[in-house]
Order: sequence, then C-alpha cells, then structure tokens
Amino acid sequence: MAEQTTTPNSTIKKGPFRKIRAEIDHFNTLTGKDRQRYITDMLFNNAMYIIIVLAIIFIAIRVPSFVSLSSIVNIISLTASRLPIALGVAGCIVLAGTDISAGRAVGLAACIAGSLLTTANKIFPGMGVQPLPLVILIVIAVGALIGFVNGFCMAKFKLHPYIVTLSTQLILYGTILLYLKMGENNGQTLSSLSEGYRNLVAGTLFTIGTVAVPRYVLYAIILAAIMWVIWNKTTLGKNMFAVGSNEEAANVSGVNVMRTIILVFVMAGIMYSITGFFEGARIASINGNTGFNYEADAIAACVIGGVSFVGGIGKISGIITGVLLLQIIFTGLNFLSVDQNILYIIKGLVILVACAIDMRKYLVRK
Amino acid sequence: MNVKKVLALLLSLCMALSLAACGGGGGDAASGGDDSGSKPAGEVSIFYYTFNDTYLSSVRSAMDSALAAAGVNFNNYDGNNIQTTQTDSIDTAIAKGASILAVNLVDTGSNDAAQNIVDKAKAQNIPVVFFNRSVEESVVSSYDNCAFVGTDYTQAGKMQGDMIGQYLVENYDAVDLNGDGVISYVMFKGDEANQEAIYRTQYGQENADAVLTAAGKPALKFYDETNTNRYLVDQNGAWSAQAATDYMQTILSQYSEANNNMVELVIANNDEMALGAIAALQNAGYNSAGKTVIPVFGVDATDAARAAIDNGSMIGTIKQDAEGMANAIVTIITNFQNGNDKFDGIDPGYLEGTWRVNIPYSVYTGE
Amino acid sequence: MSNNPTANDTVLLRMEGITKSFPGVKALDGVSLTVRAGTVHALMGENGAGKSTLMKCLFGVYNKDGGHIYLEGKEINFKNSKDALENGVAMVHQELNQALKRNVMDNIWLGRYPMNGPFVSEAKMYQDTVAVFDDLGIHVEPTTIMSTMPVSQRQMVEIAKAVSYNSKIIVFDEPTSSLTEEEVEHLFRIINMLRDRGCGIIYISHKMDEILRISDDITVMRDGTWVATEPVANMTMDKIIKLMVGRELTNRFPPKENVVSKEVSLSVRGLTGMYSALRDVSFDAHKGEILGLAGLDGSGRTETLETIFGAATKKSGTVTLNGRDTPNRTTKEAVANGYALLTEERRATGIFGILSILENTVISSLKNYLQGGFLNQRKMEESTDWSISAMRIKTPSQSTQIRSLSGGNQQKVILGRWLLTNPEVLLLDEPTRGIDVGAKYEIYQLIIDLAKQGKTVLMVSSEMPELLGVCDRILVMSGGRLAGEVSAKTATQEEIMTLAAKYV
Repeated sequence: MAEQTTTPNSTIKKGPFRKIRAEIDHFNTLTGKDRQRYITDMLFNNAMYIIIVLAIIFIAIRVPSFVSLSSIVNIISLTASRLPIALGVAGCIVLAGTDISAGRAVGLAACIAGSLLTTANKIFPGMGVQPLPLVILIVIAVGALIGFVNGFCMAKFKLHPYIVTLSTQLILYGTILLYLKMGENNGQTLSSLSEGYRNLVAGTLFTIGTVAVPRYVLYAIILAAIMWVIWNKTTLGKNMFAVGSNEEAANVSGVNVMRTIILVFVMAGIMYSITGFFEGARIASINGNTGFNYEADAIAACVIGGVSFVGGIGKISGIITGVLLLQIIFTGLNFLSVDQNILYIIKGLVILVACAIDMRKYLVRK
Repeated sequence: MNVKKVLALLLSLCMALSLAACGGGGGDAASGGDDSGSKPAGEVSIFYYTFNDTYLSSVRSAMDSALAAAGVNFNNYDGNNIQTTQTDSIDTAIAKGASILAVNLVDTGSNDAAQNIVDKAKAQNIPVVFFNRSVEESVVSSYDNCAFVGTDYTQAGKMQGDMIGQYLVENYDAVDLNGDGVISYVMFKGDEANQEAIYRTQYGQENADAVLTAAGKPALKFYDETNTNRYLVDQNGAWSAQAATDYMQTILSQYSEANNNMVELVIANNDEMALGAIAALQNAGYNSAGKTVIPVFGVDATDAARAAIDNGSMIGTIKQDAEGMANAIVTIITNFQNGNDKFDGIDPGYLEGTWRVNIPYSVYTGE
Repeated sequence: MSNNPTANDTVLLRMEGITKSFPGVKALDGVSLTVRAGTVHALMGENGAGKSTLMKCLFGVYNKDGGHIYLEGKEINFKNSKDALENGVAMVHQELNQALKRNVMDNIWLGRYPMNGPFVSEAKMYQDTVAVFDDLGIHVEPTTIMSTMPVSQRQMVEIAKAVSYNSKIIVFDEPTSSLTEEEVEHLFRIINMLRDRGCGIIYISHKMDEILRISDDITVMRDGTWVATEPVANMTMDKIIKLMVGRELTNRFPPKENVVSKEVSLSVRGLTGMYSALRDVSFDAHKGEILGLAGLDGSGRTETLETIFGAATKKSGTVTLNGRDTPNRTTKEAVANGYALLTEERRATGIFGILSILENTVISSLKNYLQGGFLNQRKMEESTDWSISAMRIKTPSQSTQIRSLSGGNQQKVILGRWLLTNPEVLLLDEPTRGIDVGAKYEIYQLIIDLAKQGKTVLMVSSEMPELLGVCDRILVMSGGRLAGEVSAKTATQEEIMTLAAKYV
C-alpha cells in the first residue's frame, strides 16, 4: 500500500508539490498505529475543507445545477454579503469576547443609509437624496461610535462583552424603532431607494456569460484584504492577538490594552455599519427587522472557521471558509428542498459538529 | 473618588428615569374628563405583540390619536414577540390597577396564553379586548367582558388568491414566460407556526387555482416540484424582506428564462417579503422600468408596497384597514368604560356572533 | 564570588525607606535596597516577607506610601511596567506572563514592534530576535508558537525579552523553579554575562545553594522589614536561614521514621505512553516506602505519574496494586482504585483559587458526604477540620479563599483533600515547588508521616538534596526510560546526574 504512493523521484524535494511529497515521505517512515493516527490527524486538521467538498459533491449529485455557474456566483455573492459582519465580530472573538449587538448595528446603519438615500423621504420630509460619499461617512461614523461605546465600556469598566453588547443591542433596537417613527414615517418600511445607491452596491460588477456578479462581491474582497493587513501587518492586529491570548502579558509589556480593545470594537462597528449599508441596497426594503439575528450566523461562521472563543486564535482565511461553509450548507439544503422544519436541526448540528472538530486541533492529548 | 462615582451613578439613573417618563408620556396626557363614574379611571393598558411590525405601527398610531381624542388615559406595552414578556407586563398592569386590557397576543399557536390572560382579567373583573392576532371563540366567550377585534384571517389569503387568479386570467400569456401553458410560482411564508401565515399560504394559492380552473386554465405549479411543502419560510419567523431576498437570489441562480424554467409568479405572506423578493428580481434585471415584470403579490398595503405598486414593480396587495381596526377597538373600550353594550356603535355587518368584530380587507392594485 | 572584578561602587538603584500598607496590614515598613552596577544582589525572605511587594513598588504596580527610589542618582517613580521598561528596569516574572498562542518574536517585541511605515516589519523582528538569542546563546526558532515549547524554554524567551530592552536593572523572580540543572547553568552564564556588562541584577530565590553561588550581595527581609544586607562572603546557609525565619533551623529534613515493608504494593510493568515519550517503564514500590523519581525536565517523570493515574493515555503495560490489576483508564477509576495525584502546577491544576478551604478539601471525596442525594454540610466541616489539624494548615477559617493562603498551606490543603479519598498510593509531582524553607520541612514531615501509616509515596522532584533527604530509593529517568535505581542513603548527586544523562 505504501509502495504505491512512493514514486521513484520522491527524494527530490523540488517543484510545486515538494511539501506534499515531503509529507508522503514522512508518512512512509511511520508504522502501524502511528500511521493510523497520522491519517486521522490530517483528516481532522483539514476537516472544514473536507466537509465543504463532501457537501458540494453530495448536493451536486442530487441537484446538478448546484454547481452551475449561476449557482456558484449566487453562493459567492451571498457569502460576500455576510462576510463584513463576520470580519468585524471575529476581532471581538479574538479578544476572547463576543458582540451580540452586531445585528442591530447593521439594522441601524441600514436605516440611516436608507433614510438619507431615498427619493421619497418621510423621516426627514422634504430632504432629497444626499450625496453618497457623505452618507457613507455618516454610516461609518455611526458604526465607529457604536463600537467605541462597546469597547470603552468593556475596557474601562471591565464588563463582560456579553453584558455590554447585550445592553447596546437593546439600546440600538430602541434607537432603530424611534428613528423609524421620526418625521412622517410612522414606523413604516423605508423604500424607494435612489438608483445611485442601489447601483453602487448591488449593480453589476461584470458578467460571466449571462451571469451578473454584483459589486458588493468586490467590496467584500477589498474589506477582507484590508482586515488581513490589519490583523497580520499592523501593531493593532498584533496587539489584538496578544491581548486576546494573555491580557496581563500584553499589559506588562506596555501594550495599551484599553486602546487596543476600543479600536478592535470600533473596527467591528465600522464593519457592521458597512454591512448595513450593503444590506440596505441589496434588500431595498429596510425596517426594524433588518439585521435581526445577523450576529448569530456571523459568530457561528467565525467559530466554524477556527476563531476560538478562548481568544488569541483566528485567521481571516478561516472566517471566509466559515462563512462560505455555512452558505453552502444553507443554499444546498434549499436546493435539496429539505423540509423547512428539519432545516433548523441541520443548521444546529452543522455548527456543533464543525466546532467540535475544529476544537480537536487545540486539544493537547496526553 | 467614591463620591464622584455615586454622583455619576445617580445622574445616569435620573437620566434613565426621565427618559422613561418621556416615553410613558403619550398616554397620561389627558386623563381627566371621565364622566363614567361606574369605574375608577384606571389606565387602559394596550399590549402589542411587538413594536416592530409595520402594519401594527399604523394601528398603534391610529389608536394613539383616537384614544387621546377620546380623552382616555392609556399606556402601550411592547411584547417584543415573547409571550412571557407580554404576560408579565399584563400582570404588572393589573397590579397597577388597569381598567381595561387591549391585547395583541404574541402566541397564537394555542389557546393557553389567551385563556390565561382572560382568567387573570376575569378574576379582577377587568374587560379585555383582543385584537389583530387571532384568539379562538371558546376563549373569548368564556368571559362576558371580552371581545375580539380582528380580521377574518382566512380572508386575506382568500382575497389575495382571488386577486392573483383574476390578474393571471387577464394576463395569462404575458405571465407565462416560457409558454408552456402553466404558471410556476414561489410562495414566501412569514413564520412557520403563525396561524395567519398558515392560512395566507394555503388560500393564496388555493383561491388563485380556483379562479384559474374556473377560467379553464391549469392550476399553479410550485417552481420546485421536489419541495412538498410548496413554500419557503423565514427561518427567523420575522416575515423579513431579507429572507425573501436571499431565497429569491438563490432561486434565480437556478431558475431563469435562459433555462426556460423561470419563476413566473411570486406570492408573499406580507409586503415585506414581497419587497424583498422584488429587490432580488431587480438585482437580476427584472421588475424595473422597461424590464420584464414578474408579478409579485403581498398583503398589508404598507406605504412602501403601495409605492412599489404605483411604480409598477409590484402588482397587488391586500389592505388591512389600520384605522378601521383602531376605531373599532377604541369604540369597544369606551363602551366598556361607559357601561354600554360592548358592540354599541359598531357596524353590525362586521359582527360575528357575540364575540367578534371583523374589519374587512380590501384589494389594492394601485390608485 | 566576592572578588567580582566588575563590581564597583557605582550605585545603580537605591530604594530608601519604602513603606506600603494595605488595609489592616503593613506590607512594607521602611525597607531599603541598594544595587551596585555589575553585581548580582540576592533578595531573600520567606513568602510573605515583602519581596514581591517591594518589587511591585519599584515597577509602579503599587503606589508606595513612603520612601524614595533613585535610579543612577535620579529620583524616579514609575507609573507602570512600561514606564519601568523604557527606563531600563525589567523583570523576569516567576509566573510567566506570555501570550501563549503567539510566536516567540511576537512575545519579545510585544508593545514595541519594529515598524516599516504603517506596518509591522516581520523581517526586522526576526533578525533582531536572532541577534538577541545569539548574544545569549539561546537556541529557539523565533517563529515557534509559545504554547508548544517547554516551560524552561519559555523562561529563556522571557529572559531574552528583558535583555532586549537594554535594561540596566533586571529582576529575576524565582527564575530556576522550572529549570533543570543544565538549564540553570545556562541561566547563570547569562546572568554572569549581564553582570560583566555592568548591569545590576536583583535575584529572588528560595534556593540557598544558588544564591551562595551567583550573588555578590544578599539582602534578607522578614515580615515586611529589612533585616540585613551583607556581602555573600560573610554569609552561610545557616546564617541566611536564621535571618529569614528569625530562629535556628538546624535540620532541613525531618528524621526518617518510616519503615519500608517487605510487601510490594504498587507494581508497574512495561508502562509505555500513547502520546508521550514514555517507554517500557517497570518498577516495584513497597508499603511504607517513599520512592523518588529523579531526572531532567522532560525525562518522563511527570508522564510516569500521569500514566499510572490515568491522566495520560497508556499504550501498553500493566499497573497492579497489592496484586490486583488497576488499569486506571480514567482518573476517576484511579481514585476509586486508591491512587492520588498531586499535580506539578499547583496554581493551574491543583487549587480552585476563589473557592474556600472547605470546598477545596472535600471536592475529591464528595460522595462520602451524600445523604439522601444531598451533601451533608456538617460532615464536610468535620472532614475539613480534621484536614486542617492533621495537615497543620494555618488558616483563619474553613471559609477562607484558598488563594489567600501561602503556597505551603495550599499544598497542605491539597494533600488533605487526597487523604480524604483514603488512597494507598500517593503520586506527588514537585510537592515543594515554590514553597518556603520553613514550610518545606512541614511538607517533608507530612510525607514521612504518610509513609509511616503504610502508604506508598512516589515523589518527583528536581531538587536532588530533597530526594536524597526524604526518599528511601530513587529511580532515575532519562529520555522516557528508566535509567537506573539508587539508594537514597548512599547515592550522591553526581551518581544521579550520570544516570539522568544516560539516554539523552
């Protein structure tokens, strides 16, 4: 069995597959139980990718159109629409915290964007469509403010993130309801969004054949790239991981822990508000329900993607994988026409199993 | 140091309290002018299943102004879509000495929640008016001073189905994009466990089919024949636009004119979901000016939906009369206060038995 | 040592009349400390003598109530650790404060990453790390994740970090508690090098032999007061102990009164670990015997105890107790079979810090107090009372939080906890680590008492004098295997070291 995998030139460690070949060589030096363990370890370490591939294969066999171009573009665009909020909340989880106010922050941002970019303004009667750059700045400022309040309360009063964001979640919800009651709007859904706004977000980036790729896919990629740079290449990113890993160590090393926590939450707030800005245009109908429960999927995606609640662990690539996996499963179940009631159960099981498998990587075996 | 902390704490407490005072101000503006004398003028407590429902926001606004005009001392409570929350605030209101309870029930899945409220009210001899979300006759009839103001919740679905059927008969060939003689449709359900949603989902399609068959056309076909439920539901039970957008977007990646299997009709339990579906259709190049319009139908006639119908991106909706409902509730409340018969002054045509007032729906397809 | 050529009279750090009070306690009362450039200054005292508080006042963790601190003649008053670090005063903490999930260089440059424009320069970070490591003769790859390294290497990283600040004063707080003899030698080479460069080293330790070897000056503290400062040449071990405890301590070890029975109780054959390096370990232990386990860090001593106890997975081998097979697949099974394990890292895996003495005492024997499904409070209190008196635990009450006790008393609580499960075999991993000289004696006494009652004790320790003083026989481990066995009465430290290096 082993002989079959060994090629005559396997000793030459050059070329694109040298890592894989080195692994195969290493595998050949193992025997019996160790070899078994090596295989299971490898399977578990790459479990997330294996699950994705298996899921795709299984669904594609049952419903071949699942892997059609338009379906793939759909999955990618749905993933893109959920990525920014996950990128934001991931930072909070790396700090060994969480943020359950994320969904309501998305909602508030969407309401503000919608109210300033509508052709039939009832919240501010008589006010026309505002310039897009201004609105983007306002929305980002609101997100940053929400994040600042979260981060400040956490860092200053040493409150648990769950408590702080539970409070802000409620405050934000009330704010949204009050905001929608302003002017002549009377709690009604915001619609009649300006073409410019909808185009900027949901307009066509380019078409592959007849399939249009929406612009927000590009924006999500840009945001992921920016977050990658911040996480890996800046002092803030490094400090974030250090604080999440051991706050005391960061403190005695002269890291401004409070500033780090606040900035990470501000960053998260900005990501939520950008998500809100996108969702407003994508769904084109904004009310008090917009953003409801968004944090649940975002947090699940992060944890599935290996951002540990223990703190100090997480990768941007993992978050993208997590969001993608959740989306593939949701969309796939839809393609499979699974009974709606069963969907909840499957969703719960997927999150549980994926996290259990991921956690296994960090367990130190004795 | 400590003194400062205490001061800060007191200050924030004061702020919170003054905010609360502001919020509660709506009701107690005009508490005088009570000439009833039969009952002490306790507060009229109104319990909404949530403040976050577009249609009920309209009802709430109409009620607020009608009650204020009638000089009634009242207070609104948000159930936040949780029955426990609502029941708790009802307990508090009763303890506070509420004179009348108006309840927009959260849990319509069984009689228990409603019966529980009736029993509590009965024990204190406080009249109860249920409204909007359905309560069964047995519950309402178990207490003399109890009434229900709602709509015949099968009616919205039936009217929507009839409207769809008529529209299709009139525009059959235009709607049947692939010309196979059958209209394929999708149905968006607001909440898996809600009575209203269940009946709208059922009758929206059945009545449309009845009209089609009567006109000699084949019945509607669900776009995905393997889906035996024949609907897609908002997993959060929030009747949300976002759920519809995501479903529609996924559907459109699989079903298109190019594949000759395009979804030709969208039926939604409410306008939110209809608008959500329209957003996805618009992103895919439909339902805008000069583009093919996939007929989309909703229920509620919200301002946004009416705007969409007026600009042609949506076809029709069913109007619930928010003001009519508010006025009926206020009438009953004042009847209870003045010791009149509870249904005095209500159009007898709206009455069902001795327990219920049905506010009629109407079709809205543009002005 | 006293004729240290680099020592001079330039005073680097002078702390004068430092006073610090906490509610109800005067933690420091006019303590003074003077550190000369190019010297190692040992700071000694029992736990609670005020060494840590003094250092915390230096680093600005606590605000001192009175007194002055001068660094190179200039009065200073650091606001926090960062302030201290930037002014050339660094500390290697006893409890390593590190971001374990990050790599070595991230930890070293934490809080002052080299920048390249707006971005952190990983390349420069790597080079600078290598430069510091080369300078100190440390061989660690800068991109290794901290949690994957042994404690000793992590400690080296911590030292390198302190050095990398170009510190003038470096405080070492119990630096050798987790190091092997060899690593201690390496540490001493580094300390000597720093001293030769003119640094002032403050060295806090309980280990007399180390202090006498490495230091130039010694300051002894007791009960928050300064007792003496002397050149090391004027000191002897007995004199230091006398100054520290305020009385004569003639014997470091209690008399060995236990009688080793002929009867074998614990018998281990071919013990091999599933995930550890443990290979084919076989030995017998007798009733009433104290059996020592010696060896270098990582030689498999802890793994032997954990594998016997079922805390680590066994690949093969048998463990029998009094002729009965006790496979101990789980720790629960081990406890039921009459085993008890005192873990190495007391704070991390031994105590429940915020819980009371009572809760810490009865946690392993809860089923003994069950009465109709509920726990009987009175019985638990009785057991705790027994433990407090039998173990001679010094505590204000049963409801005191265990974390407020000294290390020695914490250890006694844990010993009491295990005795309540009525074990036949006690597996003790570094039972006296981080404990005062005085308290150590009491722990030794307890261990010997247990053996006297016919229990079998297996004891791992890195301090050879302790093994030689308390044990009957000593097994020496090396590279996961048993390298040999010596009698504690006749063996020498050299003999044990030779065996320990056998399979390295």
